[in-house]
Amino acid sequence: MITPEEVAFYIQNIPPTPSVVQQALAYAREGDLIKAAKYAQEDPALRLYLKTLLNRPIYGFKNEVSDVSQIFGILGVAATQQTLYHYLLSLLLPKKWELFALTNHQFYDLQASLGKRWETILDHLKIDDKEIHSAIALIPATIIVCEALFASKKKEVEQLRSIKALDYNTILKRLSGYDLFDLAAQIGQMWEMSEKTISLIRSASGVHNELFAEQKVLAQWIHLLLFYQFSQSTYVSAGLNEFIDFQIDFVQDIYDSFCQVVQ
Amino acid sequence: MRAVVKGRIGVFHLQGFLDGNNAPSFLTLEDIRATESLNVDMLLVSLKKVIFFNKNGLDVFVKLLTKVRNLKHIVVGFCDYDHTKFQAINSFYGHDINFSLFKSEKIAELFVATNKNDSKTVLLYNADPSQRSAMAIELFDYGHNPVIAQSLSEFETKKKTTDLYYAIIEDTHLGFFGQKVATRVTGNAVIYTISNFLDAEIAETFNITYHNNSLNVGFRLFIFDAYKVISMNIHALNFFTKLASSAAEYNATICFVGLTFEKTPEIFKNDLEDAGIMFFETMDNILKNKELLQELGGGGGATVKQHRALNKGLINELSHFIDATVSTLNMMTNAQATKNSLNIQTLTIANPADQFASSIGFYGDIDGLIILVFPKAIAKKACELLIGESNVTDEEVLDSLAEFVNIIGGRAKVLLSENKKRLDITLPRTYSDIATLMEIAQTKKGVQVDLSFEGQNFIFFLTR
Repeated sequence: MITPEEVAFYIQNIPPTPSVVQQALAYAREGDLIKAAKYAQEDPALRLYLKTLLNRPIYGFKNEVSDVSQIFGILGVAATQQTLYHYLLSLLLPKKWELFALTNHQFYDLQASLGKRWETILDHLKIDDKEIHSAIALIPATIIVCEALFASKKKEVEQLRSIKALDYNTILKRLSGYDLFDLAAQIGQMWEMSEKTISLIRSASGVHNELFAEQKVLAQWIHLLLFYQFSQSTYVSAGLNEFIDFQIDFVQDIYDSFCQVVQ
Repeated sequence: MRAVVKGRIGVFHLQGFLDGNNAPSFLTLEDIRATESLNVDMLLVSLKKVIFFNKNGLDVFVKLLTKVRNLKHIVVGFCDYDHTKFQAINSFYGHDINFSLFKSEKIAELFVATNKNDSKTVLLYNADPSQRSAMAIELFDYGHNPVIAQSLSEFETKKKTTDLYYAIIEDTHLGFFGQKVATRVTGNAVIYTISNFLDAEIAETFNITYHNNSLNVGFRLFIFDAYKVISMNIHALNFFTKLASSAAEYNATICFVGLTFEKTPEIFKNDLEDAGIMFFETMDNILKNKELLQELGGGGGATVKQHRALNKGLINELSHFIDATVSTLNMMTNAQATKNSLNIQTLTIANPADQFASSIGFYGDIDGLIILVFPKAIAKKACELLIGESNVTDEEVLDSLAEFVNIIGGRAKVLLSENKKRLDITLPRTYSDIATLMEIAQTKKGVQVDLSFEGQNFIFFLTR
């Protein structure tokens, strides 16, 4: 159904980071938001993306925010870096969603709510690390990769799933040796994200046992956050609730805290 | 979301959070229609991966389940939960739970008919004596051996010896049950348990699809365990005579065991005998008499005298069946199977050792039987995607082989529907040794296609 060669071909064709975004990211990592904004300003698509993102209801601004420096100032260093990654991911979006009943706007909404909720979670966990902050940005890459690899195999997967409750992540892993989180991590590597971010992305699948204490806690929170999001009506209707396997035992011990922080 | 169908059970596998807001999103109108047309004996919602649910969320599914139950007279409910979730459901619905609750899918499977001949010993406890008895009766009727704990302390003591039991049944509840005639398989005989007063309702409670499936996959002896029957009326008599006529086409035998004629007119017995139905006093009279069993068809298909020949309709669609097999193998393994030869002959297996087989029947505009014979290594490879682990038991491979052949049946159904041919498929059947398969298939003429896959041969056989 999906061969390792097809997976490799997909990864090879991931576009590199545009130079303007690369520069903006480099300055954001150093904490220089003025210079980051100067570079970001040069890319009209990025400008529009930032404006649209910041004016989504989840950010709760009464007046329209349109100036890039102002946007970066509001977001702060960590969230700026995360938002630039969000933008990079938007470059991979399909022209038309076929596997999942999604629109690009719903995808941006998902990015925005994941980002905001992750911020709340990190505040609760008292973690102030912009690499960890950014990690959430690449998690939705799993959805894009899944769409790209399985869109033409929809019927086959439906047949398979009519007799066995297999999620896309498991099917891919068993056929190619890679899971969707591995592929998202590979995208992170191509975009020169930090090792810490990449390993956190990988561990968010909830199936890896050999995690360090902090890494495990963060992976648990991301995993549960994902399923909280995927249980929202829009994403259930889009088919996202079934796309990866929810590791309920993996997140059981943080469930009560999660309810207090997120719900 | 669609239910996953395994054997005669359909299960919805939900994940994450379930409340009144998101629950309707799990089921589109198409999903509901597809669910209503499922050919299953039990429809369940798995709560295994649901971390949070409330009554509003469950209500959406209860509504669908109730609708399906009223329409199809099947068992519906929830499964795969822990004690906390069980208590939550009980507190939501109180004593008015009219759906069933099975602690696990494994336990639910004990309450439906299968093609397997496997009596399981299970430990059973329920604080409610009527539930306890109802479960014990159902389990017994489905051919299992329930060990009933009469008190909680007895249950706790017996529960410690887990090795003795296939399953420990607790936190389980039977809703509307006994709506279908209980069915079990012993050797090559299918046993139906009927009770009380038999009237026109037997046509609804008897699972005619399962019966036809069993005929199609090679069962030739059907026994009605009628010890608990008080009497029957003319409608039930008509039902059984019709059943006997249709069984005759397959040279199958229908027997009644333990039926008394104290309250049933003696003339009914003559009518039933005229239709070909046989009567025995005890089950052992049949099951322990090997010669008789063989003669009646319960020893396998070897005694079948009336062969159903291949016909043009079936041969015309041969390419679709082969395509379905090859493309399924390709989909499941990413490797290509190639066709070596095609002949019309009886099933010929060069090296019967270390081979597994599976079969699936189909009926509708055309009818027949697909048999696949694999070397064990190929069977394992074909099922790797379904199993996911490399260290698997033969039983796990055989179970997955049943799922594999089910996909082939499903694909053939889709391919034929493109030619406006309507097809239904039976439950798959698997064979851990070729001798058992040959009991059923050795005299059948069919199309044998020898295929090779990664250097090893496997056989596709299409027959009637």
